[in-house]
Amino acid sequence: MTRTTLTINGRRAQFDTEPRQSLADAIRNELGLTGTHLGCEHGVCGACTILLDGEAVRSCLMLAVQAEGASITTIEGVSLPHAGLTELQTAFRARHALQCGFCTPGMVLALHALFTNNPVADEDAIREAISGNLCRCTGYQPIVEAALDVSRANQDRLSQKT
Amino acid sequence: MTIGARALRLEDERFLRGEGRYVADLKLPFAYEAVIVRSAHPHARMTFVSLEAAKSLDGVIDIVTAADLPAGLTAIPCRIPCHGDMAPFLQHVLARDVVRYVGDPIAVVIATSRAIAEDAAELIDITWEPLPPVPDSVAALNPDSQKLHPAGNIASQWTFDIGNVDAEIATAAAVVRDTFSIQRHSAMPLETRGLLAHYDRARHSLEVFGPTKVPHTNRALLATMLKMPEGSIRFIEPDVGGSFGARGEFYPEDFLIPWVALRIGKPIRWIEDRYEHFSAINHSREMRFEVVAAANAAGMITAFDVRLVSDLGAYIRTHGDVVPSHASASFPGPYRIRNYRVHAIAALSNKTPSGTLRAPGMFEANFARERAVDLLADKLNIDRAEFRRRNLIPPADLPWAVGTESVKRPTIFDSGDFPAVLERALSEFGWDKPLPKSEGPIKRGRGLAVLVEPSGLGPFEGARIEVDQHGNVQVFSGCSSQGQGHETSLAQVASAVLTIPIERITVRHGDTGLIPFGGGSYASRTAVMSGHAVYAAALTVKEKAIRTVAQKLEVAEHDLQLIDGRIELLGAKEMGMTLGSVARLLLPGNPELMPPPPVANIVDNDGLTSTSYIRAVPGGTSVFAVHLADVAVDEETGKIRVERYLVACDVGTAINPMIVEGQIVGGVVMGLGGTLLEELAYDQQGVLLTGTFADYLLPSVHDAPPITAIVIEKEKSPTNPLGIKGVGEVGPSGVAAAVGNAVAHALGAGARLSTLPLTPERILFARTPGAA
Amino acid sequence: MKPAPFDYVAPKTIEDAIAHLNRHGSDARFLAGGQSLMPMLALRLARPTLVIDLNRIETLSHIRMQGGELCIGAMTRQGAVLDSNLVAQHAPLLQRVLREVGHPPTRARGTIGGSLAHADPAAELPVAALALQARFVIRSSAGERIVAADDFFQGMFETAIQPGELLTEIRIPSAATAGSGFEEIALRKGDFAIVSAAAWLAIAKDGTCTSARVVLGSVGPTPVRCPATEAHLIGKPVNAVAISAAAEAIPETLIESDSLNASRAYRRRIAPVLTRRALTAALKDAGKAAP
Ligand SMILES: Cc1cc2nc3c(=O)[nH]c(=O)nc-3n(C[C@H](O)[C@H](O)[C@H](O)COP(=O)(O)OP(=O)(O)OC[C@H]3O[C@@H](n4cnc5c(N)ncnc54)[C@H](O)[C@@H]3O)c2cc1C
Ligand code: FES
Ligand code: FES
Repeated sequence: MTRTTLTINGRRAQFDTEPRQSLADAIRNELGLTGTHLGCEHGVCGACTILLDGEAVRSCLMLAVQAEGASITTIEGVSLPHAGLTELQTAFRARHALQCGFCTPGMVLALHALFTNNPVADEDAIREAISGNLCRCTGYQPIVEAALDVSRANQDRLSQKT
Repeated sequence: MTIGARALRLEDERFLRGEGRYVADLKLPFAYEAVIVRSAHPHARMTFVSLEAAKSLDGVIDIVTAADLPAGLTAIPCRIPCHGDMAPFLQHVLARDVVRYVGDPIAVVIATSRAIAEDAAELIDITWEPLPPVPDSVAALNPDSQKLHPAGNIASQWTFDIGNVDAEIATAAAVVRDTFSIQRHSAMPLETRGLLAHYDRARHSLEVFGPTKVPHTNRALLATMLKMPEGSIRFIEPDVGGSFGARGEFYPEDFLIPWVALRIGKPIRWIEDRYEHFSAINHSREMRFEVVAAANAAGMITAFDVRLVSDLGAYIRTHGDVVPSHASASFPGPYRIRNYRVHAIAALSNKTPSGTLRAPGMFEANFARERAVDLLADKLNIDRAEFRRRNLIPPADLPWAVGTESVKRPTIFDSGDFPAVLERALSEFGWDKPLPKSEGPIKRGRGLAVLVEPSGLGPFEGARIEVDQHGNVQVFSGCSSQGQGHETSLAQVASAVLTIPIERITVRHGDTGLIPFGGGSYASRTAVMSGHAVYAAALTVKEKAIRTVAQKLEVAEHDLQLIDGRIELLGAKEMGMTLGSVARLLLPGNPELMPPPPVANIVDNDGLTSTSYIRAVPGGTSVFAVHLADVAVDEETGKIRVERYLVACDVGTAINPMIVEGQIVGGVVMGLGGTLLEELAYDQQGVLLTGTFADYLLPSVHDAPPITAIVIEKEKSPTNPLGIKGVGEVGPSGVAAAVGNAVAHALGAGARLSTLPLTPERILFARTPGAA
Repeated sequence: MKPAPFDYVAPKTIEDAIAHLNRHGSDARFLAGGQSLMPMLALRLARPTLVIDLNRIETLSHIRMQGGELCIGAMTRQGAVLDSNLVAQHAPLLQRVLREVGHPPTRARGTIGGSLAHADPAAELPVAALALQARFVIRSSAGERIVAADDFFQGMFETAIQPGELLTEIRIPSAATAGSGFEEIALRKGDFAIVSAAAWLAIAKDGTCTSARVVLGSVGPTPVRCPATEAHLIGKPVNAVAISAAAEAIPETLIESDSLNASRAYRRRIAPVLTRRALTAALKDAGKAAP
């Protein structure tokens, strides 16, 4: 067992883990944050996407012990429980960009990371950002539309400022 | 009226916040983890040598094999009427001496963690004596092949012979023949299956979290297999990450996990991993059609003659032979055809057993038929849309009985205006507009497919509605939900009648503890059937409320109306009561309406509640749909891009058009997966080669073209008061057909596109057979 | 899908990492970005008893010019290479191929060294490394050695890295005026290639080709150069006709792979097509780069 300390959704957390436990399993089982989903456990579906020091990565492809000292954001950290949804989450709802919701946390985080770096991402950039996130329900079109709504709103805000 | 509103979904917020609760998110104290040990051999005789090493591993609680199963335990029955006796082919929950597919369950390891259970599984000592495999349906039908079961390798076969097929073919102006193959693939929901079972010995109560789709049916089955009273078992559906037909059937694990929980007396959790999912979940779609299609000089299709062989895998599961059965019954599609013959064979092989996948049998049949229809049109030199126009069943001929039946119900298309939908689709898409120019090696093509998709099947459905004293509504539905948005659409139906906003309506489903009977969610039935049941229950609640207020205010019922959740006197709005007040009035024991002395049985004083069960029309209600695709094909590499896509269909009534469009758009992309990418591949020994998402390719965002869904609400379904037709399966149903036709169009005459998936290789070699 | 048990260390220096490796022998495995190793662990296809995590070794992560070579540390993330101006200037081919390697989240973790050391026959980076004639810096307790690209890829998942060795850096000779191109067929964007082709052309002022490298990927156990194709071009003016002829000169025997996702016959059909397209792109690129 190895003691691992990290920051998750802004809070310090500590747990003991076998080296073989994936970061995704630790987030779910040790930290109780079950919004990080496991669709494949071998790195292809993107359901387990988290932000590791701000960057979207797959948490099933990291060991929990590797996260020592890291700062992690999961879907639970995107909007606080009693606060409203983010603009992106709201756009998902408005565009019906989720059905079963299983891929949704990964999608939201992948796009969250994109907009942090590139608030006015175009459709190509949006598609590339979620190209490694599989969705079996929506056909992606509404997800892309939701992201484009956010990009356009960001664009409008930017042009108002200048 | 909130039917027809593009209401935002009530379930979204919890999913967006990561607060959905899927089965793997549930925890019970002191739970153990189970791992299913599966055969790595396609066909072999098996003997356990020793479990000792595995059992003695730290953290291992128990290991069970077939030898431990209750005496007299039956195989898992088929829940659907079939074309033959399926008893000799059914699957037992654990293989006893012989395994018949890679993935066949042979033991269950229970341990303190999944990792330890996997460690132990590796230590189980087994000897395997390989048996000759039956790798596919060709081998299955060969009389010299190994027999998979004492009863042979054919589970069932049947024939429909309508009209005079031979005579029509003999005298036809044009005849085409081809063989169409659809590859084995599967529903592949993004969430794998899972169960958490907990047995409270003292109370003889078993709770199972994780079931979906048909919880009531499966509970009854489990009760029978465990010899327990149904009332002692409660199935509870958590949030579910997709089913598409496969998830929620009764699988070996659906017995094993609850049974182990009973045996051990501790909660048992089993979360399927993706690797085992590939070999464990129902496969589907593997089918071959030998088609002869004939037409006369006027461009009327005169006959279809079909031989259909489907490979259902090693055992018959709960779905029996329904997939080839549907395909055989509905093959003629929306055409006015009176000469149709089909001989269908449900063959068995050393592969994972099969079941339904969204648009079962239809995706397959539509591909074969619509390709054949294009070949006929080309042969007669008639525009492909015009050819279909001439042959569609006209509205006056509806309802139309195909003359076939499936699951012991006649195949009937109940209503619609097929030609009108076709014309709308053609004009919206611009069928006659020129394609974008072909540039260099990029050739463009356009494809069309028409189809009828059955929906709203299944015997009955139920709903219970309860209004509380504050006017909040609970709807208990016998349906289940795997992401379709039933919590919203059923709330919309209740809201439409009760005039209470959907935010105050909570829909509960998939829980056998909350409503005694339920049909479940399959065959695009929930909007049709559960919608109908909720509507009926809501109407009864409304009537009851009006009756109560009439009594209380001493006015006539017909002078009252329900507006915004309040029953008011016509012309004297201030005279009235909210539904919440009515509910309070109707509280059992409230003496206001029913003064003492007490009536022994409080009949009308059971709260503002109502339960309704509605029955299905046997043939269900069918949706006519048109699929259109533009594709670009790189002639030099065979690489294809679907450039745009359109689906038009008449759904009668859309409870929530946003959800309907979502079903169609998502369904099209699922269909594209089956058309271009997805395949569960086996080698010639019967070994499954596909074990990860790196080799089973689901469509990604880059594979999704712009899709237009045209949702028409003109021809109401006569089968239910809301006029709804089910739309869940329209999306995938015609994709292989439309895209196949578009690719053939791009490649020009002589290209043979009859085998799915349409890989770049198949497309490149479509014109030079033999090269591949 | 849980890995078999293993121990874990996260050394901070190259020396420590190698010391761990020497102590543990062949049961130890380096963990770089984990984008290939982690799935193998989960599927229990890899069963090391010790995992040596390279992610804490800062000296393995850099991109810099040194002695006319572009030096990229083995642990440099694929995403960082894709974003680097230095790479854009000196080895744009790397960025061209990286756009086809996985997806942003896999490139955020996956490393250059991990992909090259893993040497998947269908991977793109090895194809680029061969076309760019990268040099591989390999360290062991015995010191450092440098392996040429032509010698590095030795078989399916096999490289010149020996037991006890760590790949620390790749060095790419800068040739700012050369042009490069890359084409592949994959079943989905971001997937491993069915066939890939990289072309690298140095063109003199008068338009003759002074040096050419053509590499095919996913046609055999390792990426392969096509000397026959290269010979067709070198010393001659390069134009569409020459390119077509050169592409057609690929000997069929060079293309051996026959797999579930594509037959040998298919690969043989498309390899010349992709080569022609990659060469055409390289020619265009060289035109841009030319002074
Ligand atoms: C969804 C997905 C899609 C992908 N698509 C592609 C694709 O299209 N094309 C492609 O090429 N790749 C693809 N990959 C693989 C990806 O590029 C990997 O990053 C790469 O193969 C391995 O790099 P890594 O840093 O993750 O190494 P790891 O997985 O950590 O290690 C891989 C192997 O290399 C060894 N190793 C690593 N570093 C060193 C070193 N410095 N010295 C010696 N040995 C070392 C390890 O011990 C291990 O055996 C994909 C991966 C995923 C998850
Ligand atoms: S669960 Fe991590 S990518 Fe699928
Ligand atoms: S919403 Fe179900 S997988 Fe995306």
